[in-house]
Amino acid sequence: MLNPQIPETKPVKLAVRGMNFWYGEKKILHDLSMDIHAERATAIIGPSGCGKSTFLKCFNRIHEVSSQVRVTGDMLMDGVDINRGGIDQVDLRRRVGMVFQKPNPFPRSIYENVAFGPRLFGVRDRATLDDLVEDALRKAALWDEVKDRLKDSATGMSGGQQQRLCIARALAVHPEVLLMDEPCSALDPIATSKIEELIFELKDSLTIVIVTHNMQQAARVSDYTAFFWLGKMVEMDLTERIFTTPRERMTEDYITGRFG
Amino acid sequence: MDDLLPATTLDAPGPPAQAGPARLRTAPLFRHSRLNRLADRGTRFVLLACTLLVVGLIGGILYFLAIRGAAAFIPMAGNTDKVATFRQVFLSTNWDPGDGHFGILPFVAGTFAVTGLALLIAAPTGVLAGVFIAKVAPPWMRTLMRQVMDLLVGIPSVVYGIFGLTVILPLVGHAWLADAPAAGFGVSAAILAVMIVPTIVSLATDAFESLPASLDEGSQALGSTRWQSIWRVLIPAARPRLLTACVLGLGRAIGEAMAVQMVIGNNPQWILLMRQATDQTPVLRFLFTPAATLTTELVQELPNTAAGSTWNNVLFAMGLLLYLITMLLILATRRLGRQEHA
Repeated sequence: MLNPQIPETKPVKLAVRGMNFWYGEKKILHDLSMDIHAERATAIIGPSGCGKSTFLKCFNRIHEVSSQVRVTGDMLMDGVDINRGGIDQVDLRRRVGMVFQKPNPFPRSIYENVAFGPRLFGVRDRATLDDLVEDALRKAALWDEVKDRLKDSATGMSGGQQQRLCIARALAVHPEVLLMDEPCSALDPIATSKIEELIFELKDSLTIVIVTHNMQQAARVSDYTAFFWLGKMVEMDLTERIFTTPRERMTEDYITGRFG
Repeated sequence: MDDLLPATTLDAPGPPAQAGPARLRTAPLFRHSRLNRLADRGTRFVLLACTLLVVGLIGGILYFLAIRGAAAFIPMAGNTDKVATFRQVFLSTNWDPGDGHFGILPFVAGTFAVTGLALLIAAPTGVLAGVFIAKVAPPWMRTLMRQVMDLLVGIPSVVYGIFGLTVILPLVGHAWLADAPAAGFGVSAAILAVMIVPTIVSLATDAFESLPASLDEGSQALGSTRWQSIWRVLIPAARPRLLTACVLGLGRAIGEAMAVQMVIGNNPQWILLMRQATDQTPVLRFLFTPAATLTTELVQELPNTAAGSTWNNVLFAMGLLLYLITMLLILATRRLGRQEHA
């Protein structure tokens, strides 16, 4: 957690200004604005259905795979609008990786799962692939557990290992931002604490945005926390302030468990 | 069954009346009537009889084919003619029943050639159409296409045959062959492909729809293009079910007689004819030489041969062979289906 007394030194990686979002005819997100700093972990909390996952998915536009959606307002990454700035969706998704609620490894070997991303972009050289796979698995704190069984099927791993494999898979294409949509909701406490440690280490080198149901988790891993309610952002601040001295009454009520 | 539950349990008086408020004064007896119980026992026998009937039919057909087929090779009841050797029948390309030659290889080869060609056309088409319907098409088109495919599966094969005979054959002959007859493997395989594509599309669509959406999302979240996602994740993940779809299509193609018979030209001597031809285009010659398959030959000749003759018995042996090939395919489908669960 960041100390409120010390000013922020990291640049803004993602800037959202006056953003609205529709699923078909239904408006889901209303007039959102926030800054997300590079090399920080930003948590988004709020009750179910408040639009926090929807918001997260806007950063790599993965909605557009299966649904009719509309976005207005600005969403800037390094100053370039990701919806209108001429960024190709496929390239955007390479730069903004994502880890889903349920681990979703491909039904192939551990190695092939991690090598999948680099192969998409035409990496064929075996030695390069080996290096990328090892590097990604090390970053995901999985290498020591799987280095002797890279050829085994990924679907035979435990849930926690599968989720770390999905993180490794996302890291293998060297993203700048990592989106995590309730990455621990399907995991037991031990697996959860491993993922939390990992988030702590990973934010040294990339920007992390994590949606979570679990307020303790937000408090443990994030530097900033945003509280969403009914598709609006109630409040965003340093995590320490949100959890000690929130400005809004509603935030306090939610954090102390009076509703939600 | 009533012997397991002693009647006393059912008839036992309930707890004392003061245990709860507003109780029924006399509870009903909750017992089945005698007739009901009798019917229950009877049901079992009816179900068993139906099952045995089906099994008996399948077994009976196999037995009948095997007996008549064996009569071609063994002097036994049902054989009033000469005996053929196994070699003369299964390993010979010479089919000339009038002269005592009964080599069925042309028909076996014809069956595999025409079904193989048909599958070559239908499998990629069907799988890709399945991907399109399940993963790319908008919802209204998905519903429409599914219904169209179900309708196409139900069209009688003779209708496809008529279409092939009266439309495709003249068209192909006119366009490519300078009005020479176009009957042969080419048009037959095309018609067969059209017939089995709906089956493959239906099953392939099911296969792709049963894949979890998270696979597609996961690969696109890594920066896959839609095509990369289909090619590298969805098709491999659905492979066992896609293979099953193709084998079922193949099964349908092998057993098909009517439509093929109408467009293939029915020439048992096709291998000979192809050997004699000397033109420079072997592929075209292969596609447009009138030929025959196991099924077309059975349809063509079985009604015209005398029972008990070698000719007739060899035709039954061909039927048996066809039966066994189809059985093998069904077993293969089962095996593939089991692989998926493993």
